[in-house]
Amino acid sequence: MFKKALLALPVALALGATAHAEKPPEEVLQDLIDSVDSAYLTQSEQNLLMMADNPAMWTGMDGEDLFHTPRGPNNVSMEACDFGKGPGVLEGAYVELPRYFEDTDRVMDLENRIVHCMTEVQGFAADDPAVARRHGSGSDHMKIQTYIAMQSNGMEWNNPLDHPLEIAMRDAGEVMFYRRSGIADFNCNTCHGESGKRIRASVLPSKDVPQEWTKAMSWPAFRVGHDNVRSSQHRIRGCYWQMRMPRINPDGDASIALMSYWTDASRGQPAILPDMKR
Amino acid sequence: MLKKTPIAAGIAALATIFIAGGCAVADADKSNAVDYTAMTPEELAEHLIFEANGFVLDQEVQEGGTTRQRMVQDDLHKACSVIGGGDPDQETLEAVRAAAAESIVYPEGGIELGDWERGRELAWSGFGYRVGHKTDDHSARDVGGNCYNCHQLATDRTGGNLGPSLTGYGKTRGTSEAMLKYAYDMIYNPHVYFPCTNMPRFGHSGFLDEQAIADIMAYMFDPESPVNE
Repeated sequence: MFKKALLALPVALALGATAHAEKPPEEVLQDLIDSVDSAYLTQSEQNLLMMADNPAMWTGMDGEDLFHTPRGPNNVSMEACDFGKGPGVLEGAYVELPRYFEDTDRVMDLENRIVHCMTEVQGFAADDPAVARRHGSGSDHMKIQTYIAMQSNGMEWNNPLDHPLEIAMRDAGEVMFYRRSGIADFNCNTCHGESGKRIRASVLPSKDVPQEWTKAMSWPAFRVGHDNVRSSQHRIRGCYWQMRMPRINPDGDASIALMSYWTDASRGQPAILPDMKR
Repeated sequence: MLKKTPIAAGIAALATIFIAGGCAVADADKSNAVDYTAMTPEELAEHLIFEANGFVLDQEVQEGGTTRQRMVQDDLHKACSVIGGGDPDQETLEAVRAAAAESIVYPEGGIELGDWERGRELAWSGFGYRVGHKTDDHSARDVGGNCYNCHQLATDRTGGNLGPSLTGYGKTRGTSEAMLKYAYDMIYNPHVYFPCTNMPRFGHSGFLDEQAIADIMAYMFDPESPVNE
């Protein structure tokens, strides 16, 4: 543990230089804890202690290499890709996703935008593992997502709602959040409509308490129980599974609509990137 | 091979028109590709779920049929899905309550308590009806009620608090016929007492069978059960 901490320090320093937030993720979280009385934010003292030594930092560092290395059949780096603020511009890009992209005429989240970059710019086939493998700390996706997201640490969530499609997707996501169905009659609000509620021992975040919600949707995060860095799409998949609903398609607009809504619910709150969760 | 007769030329000309027409139709489809901004949020949500490849809808599910039906809303789902949370109007709540009362089916021999030890495990188990990246195989294990997710029961295990604590349930309430009926109703279709509650309709939906309900009720009421220690 001590050795890991020693190793993590230079990592934090190195990434700190490129991640433009002044405060590391654990301090962003601490400020939120100080600002509101929340059982959700404070539930794991152990995780709070480990935050400075978050294994997701390593995942992000691997992502930095992948991002800047020319790859794929076209042998170009992802610096050529636009994540919303111009080619290669990552600072603050993630907190403004999902957003409308003119080149695809579509509202896209980070994962779909990375797929677009890999297939259209770098020339990877859709079934190439770089594109198709979405989960696990060892996947290109999680490495690159973590790296890009870290460039928005401490910045306020602010997904644009200017283009009519951005508004339509956000509003449809809201309907989905409250839409009950299935054999267990659940919706997202069943678990995320009230502060201080627990599933067994786990305190749930409330969508209506933005200081809680920003942590809830600050992905990628290292999930201690999974021993892996996880994404927003992974969280959504898990929620629908628990609700006994069908598997959500990460490339479909339904998942992006839901993300447009949940990001809007955190508007103005600082992102914790990368986060650490139970 | 058509001879170059006036008729054949006419056919060829017609074919050209058809082909051109076909292209025109294809182009129209593209430019008329569903306009999300022309839909209400509700219409768009339905479209994204059912028409735009939002979910895997063709997987077989444990109760028979496909995952599509897990996304199709019944009357209760529609009535109780309120944007922003909270309850629908009083009239709607009364309709939900009345429909719930109609839905409840009692065991032929009346409500009886089963095996509290099996009930203890079913109250704890979250197994059952999950589909997608990991699908529960009901032939491998019994379907649980997952009561502990939301309720505290016996305190040897940690329960959630989305629902009220049920610790000491039978001890404090007794086992009168009325009490057993109330608990049975609450498990079978809780909307009869709490319209638009978050709790699933475990009996009405078929999530739990008659034996499982009897066993879970024994766990709640049996004097030997750790719930009533």
